[in-house]
Amino acid sequence: MKLKPIIQRSAALCAAFALTTTSSIAQQITGTPGSSDATSVLAQPKPNPERNAYFGETHVHTSWSLDAWLGGDRLTGPADAYKYFKGQPIKHPLGFDVKIDTPLDFAGVTDHSEYVGVTKLANDPNSPISKLPAAQPLILKNESVAEADRVFTYVLTNMLGGKVDKALMSPAVAKTVWDENTKMANEANQPGKFTAFCSYEWTAMPNNMNLHRNIFFRDCAQIPEMPFSALDSYHPEDLWKWMDGQRKAGNELLAISHNANLSDGRMYPIDVDSFGRPIDAAYAASRDRNEKLIEMKQMKGTSETHPLLSPTDEFANFEIMSFLLGDPEGRFPHIVGSYARQALKDGLSMQDTQGYNPYKFGFGAASDSHNTAVPYRQNNFFGQAAKADGTPKLRLSGLVVAGMDPRVIGTGGLTGVWAEENTRASIFDAMKRKETFGTSGPQIKVRLFGGWEYAADTTNEKDWIKTGYAKGVPMGGDLPPSAAKAPTFVVWAAKDPTSGNLDRIQIVKGWSQSGQSFEKVYDVVWAGDRKPDKLTGVVPPIGSTVDVENATYTNSIGSVELKGAWTDPNFDPSLHAFYYARVLEIPTPRWTTIQAKQIGVMPPDVVPATLQERAWSSPIWYTPSSDALKGVKRGPTVADLKKQGAVALTSEQIKALIVGKSVWVQNNVTGDKYQIIYGFSGKSPSGKPATPVEPGYVTEKYADNQGQYQARYVGRRFQEPSEVGDIADRSYIGDSGSYFINNGKIVTSMVGTPIETAVYKVGSKYMGVRSNEFGYANYEIIPAVAELSPLKVFQ
Amino acid sequence: MFSCKSSSGLSVNEVPVMNEPQPARRHSHVRSFLTAMKRWLREPLLHFLLIGLLLFGVYVYTNRSRIGIESPRQIVVSLDDLRTMAGYFESQWRRPPTPQEFQAMLEDKIKEEVLYREGLAMGLDKDDTIIKRRMAQKVQFLAEDVAAAHEPSPAELKAWFEKNTEKFALPSRYSFRHVYFSPDKRGKNAHDDAANLLARIAGQPEDSPQIASVADRFMYQDYYGDRPPSAIAKEFGPQFAVALEKLKPGLWQGPIESGYGWHLVFVDTVIPGRIPAFEEVESDVKTAWLSQQKAQAWQKAYQTMRDKYTVLLPAPPEKRTAGAPVPPPKKRFPLP
Repeated sequence: MKLKPIIQRSAALCAAFALTTTSSIAQQITGTPGSSDATSVLAQPKPNPERNAYFGETHVHTSWSLDAWLGGDRLTGPADAYKYFKGQPIKHPLGFDVKIDTPLDFAGVTDHSEYVGVTKLANDPNSPISKLPAAQPLILKNESVAEADRVFTYVLTNMLGGKVDKALMSPAVAKTVWDENTKMANEANQPGKFTAFCSYEWTAMPNNMNLHRNIFFRDCAQIPEMPFSALDSYHPEDLWKWMDGQRKAGNELLAISHNANLSDGRMYPIDVDSFGRPIDAAYAASRDRNEKLIEMKQMKGTSETHPLLSPTDEFANFEIMSFLLGDPEGRFPHIVGSYARQALKDGLSMQDTQGYNPYKFGFGAASDSHNTAVPYRQNNFFGQAAKADGTPKLRLSGLVVAGMDPRVIGTGGLTGVWAEENTRASIFDAMKRKETFGTSGPQIKVRLFGGWEYAADTTNEKDWIKTGYAKGVPMGGDLPPSAAKAPTFVVWAAKDPTSGNLDRIQIVKGWSQSGQSFEKVYDVVWAGDRKPDKLTGVVPPIGSTVDVENATYTNSIGSVELKGAWTDPNFDPSLHAFYYARVLEIPTPRWTTIQAKQIGVMPPDVVPATLQERAWSSPIWYTPSSDALKGVKRGPTVADLKKQGAVALTSEQIKALIVGKSVWVQNNVTGDKYQIIYGFSGKSPSGKPATPVEPGYVTEKYADNQGQYQARYVGRRFQEPSEVGDIADRSYIGDSGSYFINNGKIVTSMVGTPIETAVYKVGSKYMGVRSNEFGYANYEIIPAVAELSPLKVFQ
Repeated sequence: MFSCKSSSGLSVNEVPVMNEPQPARRHSHVRSFLTAMKRWLREPLLHFLLIGLLLFGVYVYTNRSRIGIESPRQIVVSLDDLRTMAGYFESQWRRPPTPQEFQAMLEDKIKEEVLYREGLAMGLDKDDTIIKRRMAQKVQFLAEDVAAAHEPSPAELKAWFEKNTEKFALPSRYSFRHVYFSPDKRGKNAHDDAANLLARIAGQPEDSPQIASVADRFMYQDYYGDRPPSAIAKEFGPQFAVALEKLKPGLWQGPIESGYGWHLVFVDTVIPGRIPAFEEVESDVKTAWLSQQKAQAWQKAYQTMRDKYTVLLPAPPEKRTAGAPVPPPKKRFPLP
């Protein structure tokens, strides 16, 4: 849910309207600072060249955002949000007090830039906007929840969906709100103690695809007259152009994208941009200049990766939320293009094969709460949709809010930065150089350094952080030119003193070869004396102290601090790669489990009863030097094949080649061999291929050009390319999928995204080209394999 | 069409004759009025007056700062209005509007005013929740702004500070050294190891390297200077801060549990919390004073307004009989 401020200072507004006591009004509008504010006489800490971790919120809505206001968040505005982050209790929209567990170091309130004025004016007959036909659906006819929901859904699906009436832009009003927003940030900003940023959310949502970005300014004295809103343009490319202009004018700024998981596959395109133009070097440079960070996780789900994109990552299944805002009928969200790890991998492939990388971003996390206040802890969770999910009963009964199941909503995440001091400039610069990390809510700290000269016991040195900076680069950076056989990464993590102990630190590596990209998760440091599995190298689960019925856990397992150095055992200097650290806590009860216990009901069955809170460091990238690429042979591209006289097969030729056949295929990049059975298609023998015909035998019949396929003999240790799903498991259990033959391509799909394979005949060979491998012909039809796997012994 | 024979009089002959036939029975005074009118129309003074009026109109037109109501049927758009419109366009599109765009904006503005006035005339502003809320909000802002307009004198601020010092109290600050016993290294023995060391180190200088060598390396600092409890709680967890506040300075004590394990703590100094001098916190005082003034002004203003009204509510529901049709309230009473 994202939208825009409707009425400025609706706290005052509601209070003025209430027939109740005046004392509560006074309470709400009295900004009397408590003793915690009166610290301006304390000495400010000196800048720390080794940098401190600061935790902050980069995405929160107040009553100024239309959707929040419609949802019932009418008591509190941006100034209250800052109070909350500093540790003072504020009002939940339902009127009770909420208080943060551990105060934050910085925050930027990001009310929607769209419809600030428009909705307010639409509801104000004094305004010209209210007379416009386009504004009529925005006018609240009464105060009912249903009416608010109607307007909300309308705005979400129509206005943010790209159908913008230019007449609805009203700089006059939007500017007032923007100025007020700046004033409140300035009032909340206390250099050295708490940083408040000037920021807002650009809320573009064409076709219910979440393309939202939060915009952060370095200096509140250097900001534009007006924010650039999705009404100006819903194209991210236009936003970046505007940002470039701002930078030129001295207004330093950056964008943080969020909820790629809700983008329906359009947050991280690899073929065309939002105008349908081919993605090119200019697109990549523009995106890279402006989009420094992403939210790895927020209340509406994780955008790191998805179990179907990372089938070998046993921790990929974390706070997944597969949904489209506005809940359009008949559509489910695409997974391809919706997750950060795949984008990082595609970025490497693009860098390698096209010479540019639009996806070199760092990580943060945030909440996107629409309550002004934010719950960061499972044991202090109070929802995010104001009145709709304000009590445990409302939340746990699965009362659907704008199509969303509140049980699936999680706690807010946090952005951590490594900065010299707690000031706008220092924290912004850390965000810009991507020396940042995201957490799922607790204040877990993580550090990652990459270089070529770190000793294995670097973290035992007293001054290891100095060494970290001196001999390599921190998270968010690029490895210097290679000076050893393989890079070494120094990792460190410390628990939040008020949360669970740590289970392990992992390094997630991605790399690319001949247009294919791969990933592997390495366990690097872990608590206790567990031994990695000899077959897989995976450290076994830490176990669990969670008592689900009573919703408790203890810190009797896990570590307070984890640190170590890890050298990539599979490093290939000729391949582009990235590395990021992921820190896991021990299992603890999810908020749903805790609140089920509180109100005496069963924990819900749509989410896990426990979870492992976590943190993600920004990646460090490796780019091969020209020396490292000398003499390296890449797989053939379509262009290479054409030079050899290759021709693409027509649909008919493909049919003749594969339909009703069991074809052996080799992935020439990895060398893995497997079989694909292409079932009969169309006018095949009546769907009853058994001879003689067995009367009770039934199988599906397909229209022309389509059938079912099944991959066979795919092993668990295969190095699977991107976007094939859990093909090893499907091979093992004998699952099948649909294929089509259209326009000379074999088309299979990955949760709604078509993946096309063209087939070329080169001499006597048949080569397959997958549409997501950047023009490389990596698959070859091979003769039947007699022996599947030469025997191997443990090493 | 008029010509002057002289500056002193009108030539009746030269008055254009009206086309319509004159009513046969016209009263003589009507005729004399018309004659006077005709004379007036040729009067140079009138011409000057007309020119003056025109000039005045232009003056008004160019000098009004906003759309105003000259008469119910007149819409005045000022130069400033036009400049503002152009300015907004430019801030949005980063170029001046084309004449067509400008014309369209102007038409929109006129349309707004026309429809607004028509709406008012039709009474559309009545019984509209949104309008009521907006107006209520404006009234409140006005009331608050009145308070904000007054700049407090230093003496006034200081007097207020004296009465509200507790709002500006500074927390106590602690400087302490600690040694750490890590559950990662010692498991369940961390507490006992700490207790054992405490028994052995009594009387040793607090910075004795021997003490540190027995304990484990702590991932942050071994010594913290001048920290308020909130900062200590953030670093170690709240229960550690609470325990530390109770320690006596000048000796090793513990073990105290933090979010990371067990600690022996040596508090160097405690700077007790204090009320700062006015000069130290003057700007904070001003901010607090202003927000209190705002709240008070609003409360007072509202109370004054509220006192002018009597509110009638229906009778309490318990007087109704369940199941029976609800009778019209017999008794109305003012809200206290």
